[in-house]
Parts: sequence; structure tokens; C-alpha cells
Amino acid sequence: MNRKHSGTGKTLLLAGAAGILFLLMTLTGCSGEQEQMNWIDKEFDEIEEAAAGSTVNFYMWGGDARINAWIDSFVAGELEERYGIRLERVPMDASVFINKLLNEKSAGKQEGVIDLVWINGENFKTARENGLLYGSFSGKLPNFAFVDPDAVSTDFGYPVDGWESPYGKTQFVFEYDSAKVPDPPSSFEELSEWVRDNPGKFTYPQPPDFTGSAFIRQAFYAVSGGPDQYMEDFSEERVQPGAEKLWDYLRSIKPYLWQAGETYPQNKARLDFLFERGEVLINMDYNPTAASGKILDNRYPDTVRTFIMEGNSLANQHYVSIPFNAPNVPAALVTADFLLSPEAQYSKNQPATWGDMTVLDLTRLPAEWARKFEDLELGAATLPFEILSRNSVPEISAEYVEYLEKRWQEELLQ
Amino acid sequence: MIRTRTGSLILHLMPILIPFAALFMTGIIITVLQSFGIGFALPEGTGFLSAYREVFQSPFFLASVRHSLWIGLVSASVSVMTGMFLALLIWNTTSRVKKYSVVYKIPLILPHITVAFIVIIIFSQSGLLASLAYQAGLLSEPADFPNLFYNKTGTGIILSYIWKEVPFATLMVLSVLQKLDIRYIQTGTMLGAGFFRKFRHLILPHIAPAVHTTFIILFLYSFGAFDIPFLVGESSPRMLSITVFNLYFRAQLSSRPQAMAILTMMFLFSMIFITLYTRAVTAVNPKARRI
Amino acid sequence: MGKTSGAARDAAEPGLRSSPRGGINAAARDGTTLILLFILFVLPLVVLLVSSLASVWTFPRLLPESLSGRTYMYAVSQGREIFASLLSSAGYSLLTVAAVFFMTLLPARALARWDFPGKHLLDALLLVPVLLPAMTFSMGIHVIFIRTGVSDTLAGIVLVLSIYSYPYMLRALISAYMRISEQYSVTARNLGGGFFYTLLHVEVPMLLPGIAAGASVVFLVAFGEYFLVFLIGGGAVDSYTGYLFPFLQGSDHQTASLLTLIFLFVPLLLFFLMEWTTSSIYRKRGLEA
Repeated sequence: MNRKHSGTGKTLLLAGAAGILFLLMTLTGCSGEQEQMNWIDKEFDEIEEAAAGSTVNFYMWGGDARINAWIDSFVAGELEERYGIRLERVPMDASVFINKLLNEKSAGKQEGVIDLVWINGENFKTARENGLLYGSFSGKLPNFAFVDPDAVSTDFGYPVDGWESPYGKTQFVFEYDSAKVPDPPSSFEELSEWVRDNPGKFTYPQPPDFTGSAFIRQAFYAVSGGPDQYMEDFSEERVQPGAEKLWDYLRSIKPYLWQAGETYPQNKARLDFLFERGEVLINMDYNPTAASGKILDNRYPDTVRTFIMEGNSLANQHYVSIPFNAPNVPAALVTADFLLSPEAQYSKNQPATWGDMTVLDLTRLPAEWARKFEDLELGAATLPFEILSRNSVPEISAEYVEYLEKRWQEELLQ
Repeated sequence: MIRTRTGSLILHLMPILIPFAALFMTGIIITVLQSFGIGFALPEGTGFLSAYREVFQSPFFLASVRHSLWIGLVSASVSVMTGMFLALLIWNTTSRVKKYSVVYKIPLILPHITVAFIVIIIFSQSGLLASLAYQAGLLSEPADFPNLFYNKTGTGIILSYIWKEVPFATLMVLSVLQKLDIRYIQTGTMLGAGFFRKFRHLILPHIAPAVHTTFIILFLYSFGAFDIPFLVGESSPRMLSITVFNLYFRAQLSSRPQAMAILTMMFLFSMIFITLYTRAVTAVNPKARRI
Repeated sequence: MGKTSGAARDAAEPGLRSSPRGGINAAARDGTTLILLFILFVLPLVVLLVSSLASVWTFPRLLPESLSGRTYMYAVSQGREIFASLLSSAGYSLLTVAAVFFMTLLPARALARWDFPGKHLLDALLLVPVLLPAMTFSMGIHVIFIRTGVSDTLAGIVLVLSIYSYPYMLRALISAYMRISEQYSVTARNLGGGFFYTLLHVEVPMLLPGIAAGASVVFLVAFGEYFLVFLIGGGAVDSYTGYLFPFLQGSDHQTASLLTLIFLFVPLLLFFLMEWTTSSIYRKRGLEA
């Protein structure tokens, strides 16, 4: 059945007009102007009252079953009991929700769905620079009194100013099976020898993976004399001499790495797989108690132990923060405060739950709590607290991190 | 009541054309506009085409394009042929057993993200297949097993795609095969035609439209999809979709036009490919239904 | 197409065989096909099952050194979340199927039966959303949705999934329409049936196999989609893929294996239901499956 008139043509024109109308609407329209209430100026009892009976949406990385379980059972349970707040954990990578907030900010969405986020480092910097956060609030939290403010004043070299509230500390360690590796290296020089003696049994995740990036940062400190010189603002002249030495070092060990350094595991999870299957003999983790946890989980044999490079173990904190368009700020504030409570910090510190170190300053805690933390059993594979803190080194600003990650691709992958 | 044929046609097409224009077309238009930097607060001096310029200047871009094309081609071809083969096998089974053959649909049920995961467990150098080979005495350590995930040819991605796509191809071909009148085959048999003859002259023309559609779908999907390369992809070269993801989610806001530029080019490429492919198919066999 | 007698039915078995059905050859052929299919498609599931129970499992063992119920206990403790997200995923997937059906029924009818200028172009154009990488248009759609307040809602998810998966239903319906004769509708209209009555009571029942095929694909695409649901749903709408994805990225293979197996459960259930109902309907009506 043929047609004389171009029915399709007319239809398409109509549809096209509808579409363009839509387009114009969306590009020029604006969501309602709705000012966020300023909760930071209120008294904390008022905040707690307002939060009671509401739901808080906590967006965080969801790739660790144990962390999820701790949040879902302990934290959610306590929040419900103590404050009548219902906690909804939403698994979402930081880079994804930052992107979401960016979209919402540029689209003028004044009321979002995210109340609280787990954030740090580069993502925090991006969030601050783009106005994605609610405000400076950590000073408002009662439990913040237990924290040493100087210890948490910068996040990867970027000033925190209370815009995020700390809730955990962690440190970079290497893992190995003591039954297979009798004598692990304790410095990057020794690592260089170790890989020559054990070709194909070591590798690191490819930057910009979080762990891989941390690994090369530590190597960077080792070959260029430590992080202190990089505490100033980023400049290419400052970083270049050290960076050159880093590339030389990484290239020198390259032929003895897994796959002869021609390719690297895409991320930490792949490295874990290699280690658990026995393809490589050394693993690494930006969490000193992870190995103990995996032993308890029956994923590692109980001969696994951890080691760190002498005087060269990266440490940082992780934080929670509140987005600019959070629909339920009071509940977010109460949750952030609860995470800082000694009870929550203690529960979190157990290797059986998460094993994440506390950000609380033991000297500011009541004596019985300080003692509890000191007596805490951290697991057979975890290094003692004094060793960890004695050898810890701080993170440098995010620009250095990005520079090293980018240049690594160019220097090592070609 | 609508009397005119044109009016009727418009009404018939409206349910799909309105969402198509409002959502799909506007979505593409916005992507294209953003690739020209419209809608962003960009620094002074960035022209409309700066994003494109930066994309082409990247040393990794061409390698990504080649890689994506290669993976698309290999995945789609192997999947289509294997799918066709399996469809014939299943079609040939007796009705007694046919209901068990439905297991071929299992990969269809699983999301792409899980398929990558499964393939890693099985095909890694220290994976299950390697363990099997070891037990059979074929190798003595993981390094002896072929390195499928960490070479530059993207075998890991291709394997994942194939496992997911073969059932799709099988489904498409089977649904057409089942409508094939059995009497054609019987006539062919009676006239003395052998297996290949029957296949080439009776079956192939019948399933050709489904095969072509499937190939286009699978090629473009493998070319541009994100889920599997994200979980299985190797260091370099990188698939285009991953490059876009990194530019969009893991870089500065100012890199976003570059991501949009790549997406725009992928869009144009896909459209050109579809047109050329369907033209080529018609040129070879003018009477065949193209899609 | 009535019932055929025994011998004729035997000979009517589809296939390329030159020899009639029956006998060792057929059984051997059947057997090999089935074994091949099972190795290719069922064995990986078995591997997942073993992995979900494994604790330490190194190369080159075919079975884990030791077993552990850790992942199952985790799943039980997370039972509420898992069930809620499965339900949510199934929910929006079914809604997508419905939406897509209403979007494509009439257009399929027009494209199958009528010829008009620009038809081939339109045909090809309408296929495009399923070919393009989702990212190409989803970012743009997201902006639209934010401004119209539809982002982070169930409606938004259904809309974006529909626009992404409708071509499967469209294809299926067009093929189905092309296989049924127009005469039925013409007869019905001549007998006084209205347009929609004919559509619903004459055409749709004949289209059922096509609808079923299209619906299965659309459901699976929607159910297994991660990126779009998360981008548009923003985490405000539960989804099982959103719940599962971090585990697939992470290193806890054992838990990921279990959660993947759980994922299979819903579609498998629906599939079996569908296969069972369609074949029994067919058997009742004496049609060939």
C-alpha cells in the first residue's frame, strides 16, 4: 500500500518539534530556588530532635563485605536505637557520586538524595573546588572533642577546615605468606634484590588504582629522600628530579616483575586474585588489619603476615562529608557524630568487624576507653601500633598524586 | 475516527517517535553540544573544536580505536558463527531432549558484569582451566598457561563477549529456523542434496537477515560497551568506552567535552557502519530482506 | 496444522538430517549436543557454586583446600537488602517490559504491514538505541531528567531503560506481525470489530510468541543493566546490579560468586514459568512449539 503523501515526513517533523521543545525547556529551565537551612548554627539537641524518625542515605564504596556488614548491622542498629534514625547504605564509588553531584550542581538541583558520603583525597578536593559540600561542620560535633584537630587538618595536603569529619585511619602495608617467603624485604632497595631472586612473583596494581598509586608514591619517597620536600605547593620543578629517579627505579625492577612488567593488574582486586591463587608472593593493602581479617574469613592461610618499608609507610584518614543538596542534614550530622563516638570507633577497630584504626586521640579519651583501645587485639598478621606509627609517612597533595599517576602511564607503559 | 492513511500512520508511529525524539535524540544532541564545549564554563580561548583536537593529539586515541574495532570484529564474528552452529545443533535435536537445550540461554540471564568475573576465574593463568591442564600434565606452572588477559590483543574481553553473545546469536537464529518449513529440507534430501548443499541453499538464505542483524548488533555492542572492559580490560591499549569513562568520571570537569567528542565520533561511526553494511548486503542479494 | 500421525510426525522432525529420526545415531547426536551445551553453559555455574563455598583455593587444585560457609552466612545476614533489591530490579524490569510493549505495538504494525516513503530509513533509525553505547545518549538524558525532576526516580529508570531496549520488542513484534496474515484482521473488521478490539482480541493473541520473545529480552536487558540504572536512579532506587557490582570489582570472589548465583534465581524462575506456560499453551492448541 503505497502512499502519495509523505506520512513519515510529517510524523518526523512533529516528533522533531516535540523533541526540540523538550530540549529548550531543559536547557533554559531552572529548578526552584530553595535555600538550604543552616543547621550548623543550631544547637546539637535541636539537630538530634530534628533527625529523630528520619532516614539518612549514606553513599559509600561497597566493595568490602565486612565494611558493609559493620555499617548495616552495628552502625544502623545503634543509630536506630539511640536516635531513631534509619540508615540506608548505598554502594557507590566516590568518583561516581562526585560526578552525580557535579551534574546536580550544574543542573541546579537543590534537593538531592545523598545525605552523607565517604570521601577523601582527590575526591574531597574536587568536591570543595566545585562547591559540592554543605559546609564546615565537624567542629559542631560533640565527639569531635576526642580528636586531635592538627592530626586531621589536611587531607592529601588540602585543608580540611571542618568540611569533612574523620572517622578512620589507615596505613599501607605489604602482605606475604610466611610459609612461602621466609625473608621479606624491608626497604625498596631490598625489594629490588628480592624481585631479582624471585622473578615473576611480584607486581603492583596499575595506577591510577588507589593501591598501585600509593605504592609508587612510597617508592617515590624512597628514591627521592622522603615527603617533607613536597609539603609545599605543587610545582613541576620540585617534583621532576625525584620523579626521574622513580621512573629509573621502576624500570630497573620491571623485567623481574610478573609478566615481565609488560602489563599490570588493572586494580587491587586483580592483585588479590593473583596473591590468593599463588601467582605472586607479595600483596599490598592500604589497610594494616586487612590480612588478619582475611585470615579470620578463611581467605588467607593463617601463616600470612604483613611488613612495611622502614620509615616509609603511607598513612591517611578517611572522612565523611555532607553534600550541598543533602535532603536530611540533621541526620547526617548525628551519624557523623556517632561514627566519632568511642563505641563506634572501638567496634570498628576489631579485626573481626573491619579492623579500621581509630582517629580518636587516646590522650583525650576517658581513661577506661584509652585502656580498651590499647589492649585491643589487632590480629596475628597485624603489626603492632607503635611500629606502624613510628614508620608512618604522610600523604602529599593531590596534584602530586595526579602528576605521578599520569607520568607513570607515559614512562612505564610505552 | 481517523480516516486518512497518513493520519493513521502518524498515530501508529507516535508511541515510539515521541519518546525517541524527546529522550534519545535530545540525549544525543546534548552530547554533541557538550563536545563543542557548549554548556560548560571553559577557559578563554577554547574553540568549538578544542576537545576534538585534544582527543586526536592523545597518543593513545588511535590505539584505542584500533583495539575497539578489533575486539568488536572478532567477538561479533566468532559469536555469530558459533551461535549459528549451536542453533543448527539444537534445531537438530529430537524433541525428547530439546527442552534441555534451553540451558544455552543461561549467559543471557547473567548481566555482563558477572560474565567478566566468571571468565577471569576460569581462564586466568592460575584459573580453573589452568589447574585442569596441570592435572592433565600439560603444564607445570601458571606462566605456562596462555596469557589471555594481560596481552595487547584483548583476548580476555573477547572471550567474555563471546560467552555472553553466542546465546544471543543462537536465540536469533533459532527463532527464525523454527519457522523454516521442514518440507524444503525434505525435498532437498529427496533430491539427493548433501548437508552443505542444503545448508547453503536452503537454510542460509532463510536465516541471513537474522544473522546480519545479529552481527551488526554484536559488532557495535562489543565495539562500544563499557561493563566488560571495565572489569576485564588490560593496561593498554584501552577500549574507547573506558577512555570515555576515565575522561568523564576520573578527570577534571574540563575534560568532559573530550569524552563527549569521543562519544560523538562513536555515534557517527556506528551510523555510517549500519548504512554501509546494509547497503553491502543488499548489493550482494537484492532480493533479501535487509534487516 | 492438525495433529499428525505417528510416522508422519517422526518424519516431520526439523533438521538437516538425511536419515530419519530414531536409532543410535540420533541419540549420539543428541548426547553430544547436550554435553557440549552443558559444558559451555552449565559448568561455569558449577564453578561459581564451588567458589562460593571455598575458603583458600590455590592453583593447581581443582577443588578448594577447604570449604567455608562464610558467604552464605553473609547472605543470610544481608537477606533483607538482597531481597529488597531483587524485588526492585524485577519491578522496574517488568514495568519496562510493559512500557516498551505499549511503545512498540502500533509502530510494529505499521512497519510490518505498510510501505511508505522513508520506511527503510525509519526502520534503521529505530534500531539505533540498541546499537549505540549507552553512554552516548545517557549522559544527555540525565541532564534532561535532572531538570525535569525525573532523575533519581523509578519513572526515570523505566523511561531510560525503555528507550534503551525497545528495539528488541520492536523487532520481535515486526517479525511476528509479518508472519500472521492480514486477513484475520480484515475479517474481524468486516464483521464489525473496532480497531482496538481487533488489535487486542485478534492480533495480539497471534503475536504472543513474538511478544514473549521480545519481553524476555527486554526484561533481561533491564534486569541486568548496571550503568544506566545507577546513573539515572542515583542510588535512590534499589537495584540488585547496584548491590552486586562492588563485589565483582572487589577481591572477595567467594561472596561475589554467591551473589551472582542469587542473581540468576529470579530470571531463571520467570523463564521456567514462561517456557512451561508457552509450551503447555501450545500443546493445548496443537501448535508446534
